[in-house]
Amino acid sequence: MPNHTPNAGQHAVCVAVLLLFLPGLTTSAAEIDGARVYAQKCASCHGAAGEGTPDVPQKLFGDRSAFDLAEVITRSMPEGEPEECQGDEARAVAKWMLTEFYSPQAQARLNPPQKSLLRLTVSQYRNCVADLIEGFTWASQPGEKSGLTGRYYKSKSMRDSNKVIERLDSMVDFDFAEGTPGEGFDKPEEFSVLWDGSLVVDETGWYDFVLKTENGGRLFVNDTQNALIDAYVKSGDTDEYTGARFLLAGRMYPIRLNWFKFREKTSSVRLMWKPPHREVQPIPSRHLSPEHTSRVLVVETPFPPDDRSSGYIRGTAVSAEWDEATTYAAIEVADKLPEFLRSVARLKKGDDEQQRREKLQKFCQDLAYRAFRRPLTDEQRDNYVDRHFVDGTPDEIAVRRCVIGILKAPWFLYRDLGDPNDLHAVAERLSFALVDSTPNPDLLQAASKEWIKSDDGLDHYAWKLLNSYRGQVRLQEFLRVWLNMERLHEADKQADLYPSFNREILSDLRTSLEFTLREAATSEDGFRQLLTTSEFWLNGRLASFYGHDLAADTQAFQKVRLEPTHRAGITSHPFLLASLAYQDVSSPIHRGVFLSRGLLGRTLKPPPDSVSPTAPDLEPHLTTRERVIKQTSPQMCANCHTMINALGFPLEEFDAVGRHRTAEKDRPIDATGGYRLRDGRMKQFRGAVELSRFLAESRETRRSFARQLFHHMVQQPILAYGADTIDQLADEFSDSDLKMNSLMVNIALMAARPAGKTDP
Amino acid sequence: MNTRRDFLRQLGLTAGALPFITNPQSDAAGSSNPLRKQRLVVLFSPNGTVPWDFWPEKEGADFDIKPILKPMEAYKDRMLVMHGVCDKLKGDGDRHMRGMGCLLTGAELFPGNVQGGSDTPAGWASGISIDQELKNVLQANPATRTRFGSLEFGVMVPDRADTWTRMSYLGPNKPVAPIDNPYQMFKKLYGQMEDREHIASVLDSVQADLKKLSSVIGKQDRALLEEHTEFVRAMEQQLQADDSAGINHVVPQLERNVKEENDNIPKITRMQMDLLVNSFVNDFARTATFQITNSVGQPKMTWLGIKEGHHQLSHEPDKNVEAHEKLTQINTWYCEQLAYLTKRLAETPEPGGEGSLLDNTTILWGNELGQGNSHTLNNIPFVMVGNGLDFNMGRSLKFDNVPHNRLLMSIAHGFGHHVESFGRQEFCGEGPLSLT
Repeated sequence: MPNHTPNAGQHAVCVAVLLLFLPGLTTSAAEIDGARVYAQKCASCHGAAGEGTPDVPQKLFGDRSAFDLAEVITRSMPEGEPEECQGDEARAVAKWMLTEFYSPQAQARLNPPQKSLLRLTVSQYRNCVADLIEGFTWASQPGEKSGLTGRYYKSKSMRDSNKVIERLDSMVDFDFAEGTPGEGFDKPEEFSVLWDGSLVVDETGWYDFVLKTENGGRLFVNDTQNALIDAYVKSGDTDEYTGARFLLAGRMYPIRLNWFKFREKTSSVRLMWKPPHREVQPIPSRHLSPEHTSRVLVVETPFPPDDRSSGYIRGTAVSAEWDEATTYAAIEVADKLPEFLRSVARLKKGDDEQQRREKLQKFCQDLAYRAFRRPLTDEQRDNYVDRHFVDGTPDEIAVRRCVIGILKAPWFLYRDLGDPNDLHAVAERLSFALVDSTPNPDLLQAASKEWIKSDDGLDHYAWKLLNSYRGQVRLQEFLRVWLNMERLHEADKQADLYPSFNREILSDLRTSLEFTLREAATSEDGFRQLLTTSEFWLNGRLASFYGHDLAADTQAFQKVRLEPTHRAGITSHPFLLASLAYQDVSSPIHRGVFLSRGLLGRTLKPPPDSVSPTAPDLEPHLTTRERVIKQTSPQMCANCHTMINALGFPLEEFDAVGRHRTAEKDRPIDATGGYRLRDGRMKQFRGAVELSRFLAESRETRRSFARQLFHHMVQQPILAYGADTIDQLADEFSDSDLKMNSLMVNIALMAARPAGKTDP
Repeated sequence: MNTRRDFLRQLGLTAGALPFITNPQSDAAGSSNPLRKQRLVVLFSPNGTVPWDFWPEKEGADFDIKPILKPMEAYKDRMLVMHGVCDKLKGDGDRHMRGMGCLLTGAELFPGNVQGGSDTPAGWASGISIDQELKNVLQANPATRTRFGSLEFGVMVPDRADTWTRMSYLGPNKPVAPIDNPYQMFKKLYGQMEDREHIASVLDSVQADLKKLSSVIGKQDRALLEEHTEFVRAMEQQLQADDSAGINHVVPQLERNVKEENDNIPKITRMQMDLLVNSFVNDFARTATFQITNSVGQPKMTWLGIKEGHHQLSHEPDKNVEAHEKLTQINTWYCEQLAYLTKRLAETPEPGGEGSLLDNTTILWGNELGQGNSHTLNNIPFVMVGNGLDFNMGRSLKFDNVPHNRLLMSIAHGFGHHVESFGRQEFCGEGPLSLT
């Protein structure tokens, strides 16, 4: 295998490959009839068109280049007698197979992918409900300032006349010991602070809140009436209180902490949280804002997970559990709505019974219109709203029945029903693509006024959605999916080998990578930065562990250059390196699979036989690289592992916790690797920096990124939009100088436009 | 605390969740079940009593009924009046706090930051309360397990969690908030059943629309909608089957739009007591607390023509005759509530069993103080009513200054839960009070 030999030799082999094979593909192979060869030597096992036979049932399709496919045939086909089909014959049959049925394009031609009817995914369901309610109220966007407003009082009661200080506190993490928070406090044994503002959340999930204080306090999160943590009574030795909230990404939530000291000797207060996949930590300043915002209605009912068998999440299946969950969720919304009703239905104190009822009925009609994402027919209005407001039904029961009915209706649960060319359908597709949710009132208005009929109009609204905080977080969420971060949360390491690699380090690493993603999502040059940056976000704990000279007690994350001659881009971020490794040793295979499937977008079928990796102690004299080469050398394995291993080996410069290393088992690390381009050329690189340069320049990375982003946003097969859609998007992406938000808008417009209408 | 799981657990819409809606015991009860049901209700009213208008002079079965207890005259033979039972707990917190926090726990308060009118500040009680202890025992046994185990009712309890507003404890530092809004209690008890009706009322539209859509949509997508329609139909059938199987219990009717305000205290008390009796009929719980206002409660009993708050009046010295006439009136009103509850329980047959609910229920009426103006924790006005615990009822008892921990032990033993102590051990040395 040429790509495993040292650099110089490999170069020579590569030149030979270029000289010998490329002309062959274009001339002599063309003279041989691939169809005839296939019929003679392949069809008896694989079927006349690769459909399989009882002996070899697997269908023949994939994304290998003609060159790769020919090589596999030369090496291994027909099974047991590969000498039967070699050289030009192999190349001819590969080329024929490729165009007839093997390639994704051929498959798309044979079985044209269809758009499917989609129901709301779990994430869409939750977003839709939150946005429906928000549409009747208001919400803030994160501003320039971060932190919470702190109002300090010289008494337990928070009376204005007792206020001593008002300031912006970046975090709530104070130890006042036996003293006071500043000048002007009469009694060191009694004072109080009110912190308020909003939480800024960029990842969906359960958040555990922890209030640590030897004094008293109440914490309100996304609920101004009922405390999430009520620790007003200090009792005994208890000094830590917890509560949990489910929060949706891309939104702000009201938060308030009333805290006081009363006759205790000392005082301190620390407001912490445990975000999804991470450890308990003081709530960082960047997630706090002094802005006020309104409460969000968050559905907490658990749903069964959505289908992701096609490689991306989509709502194409229903089950009894799902149907039941939609019922529970509708009831949950009906339960929570009364606390929002006054503001969403614009109820006033002076309303008489008749006025109140009319307002509630009007609210329910508006709710149905927005939930169904298009104007109601008379029948819908009657079935889902008016008939519940018959005489004698109390208001609250009528509203409850409306809410449950609307949220159970197919018009809410399924997307894109009705005339696909209607502008409301266009608005719906645009909104789901860009913010994974129902159109907001602004966009619904634009639909009914036909402001989105023109390309300019549609473009305007697309950018408007994308430029909101929701749009930014939508991209951040996709980047997590692209890097497969949701699945990477177990990276425990063997304590005897990596004694100081603990859960806190892993949690910090995830935070560090999140910083990089957030920065990229808001930067014009984000895509290139992601792949090539030599700057990484570290705090003191990470700096000590990875050998950077940042002071070990640095709490806040800072962007620093970390080993710039060795590391570049997220592919050498220690979070990914440590996650794509075993408990004791690195794993070139995991890293290589991630690079080939995730970044380069290659299709990898599961190994023909399930094989467990050779334990390092069974081959004590081999390096990881040698052991992997040895184990994957059988022909059956090599068909895929030639590519996988060569992509993973450049990252052998990093151990199982992502620390840089120069030797393993007293031998220098061999970090050479490479990738065979689709035209057959071998691209070689050594180490992470060269790898990152290759990925950043590779068209395959861009194509794959565009394809995955499309699927994430649209949830329909991209080939259903035309065989050249991927290339078109990839071209536009390259032409826009790799602006990820332009790519998102292009995808959203493609999805939103009425059927048959394409970009001029 | 854990809302995600509670939410799921408390919802139950289809047959799979039925054990939560109906207690299998209530169907299987009666002769086939050798264990008879036993229930405990603790009724609380605040600020001590008026001793001379409360305590009988005579001991034994032939006792005299003073003005405050007059409303209970009809149930004299089912009542125990227990003089000489004292809350001996010392430590942090003023007596209103200790009286409340220790009433059902028999355990001291932790040091803390709640400052009363005197003494040192304190926190929560350091032990479990008797209602929760018995709930745990009953819930651990499949034969006595019920949907909720215990219910905590309140009437106009101030909207703040502190030592004066909580008497039921899951354990040290774990107070239970009473539900003082009848509509909220109704929702907890019957919300699912109402929602079943709501769901049933919308499913026909949903089904009709799914069908309509199936007929206009492409063949491939139709399968998805048809599958969905099947699930909706199955749920509708399930709801119908449940209805005809008589799953829906007697659901009480509540007067609508009764606001939580002082003048509605009598009305809210009735509503809550009706819900309590109904929950026993449905066997939702075997222990309950019923807390009218709170320790230091300040209801103004305008419906009795009294304009001053109860706590304020309770500070008046004995020689203020006018104030004490009012206090007697106030305490008589509380006793009327006890009488109403007693009557409802006595008139309601035991479902699937013999006799009335009162034959299997014991009510303990208690208070955080003996008397308001002295703030004494001696001679807490304890009265027991009903025959849930096989005590020898219909007597006036005079104990010699015994710790109330022993009374709590008697109740536990009455349930067959033979604890060796309850709350602070040093007050339990002589064992449960003999009440049989």
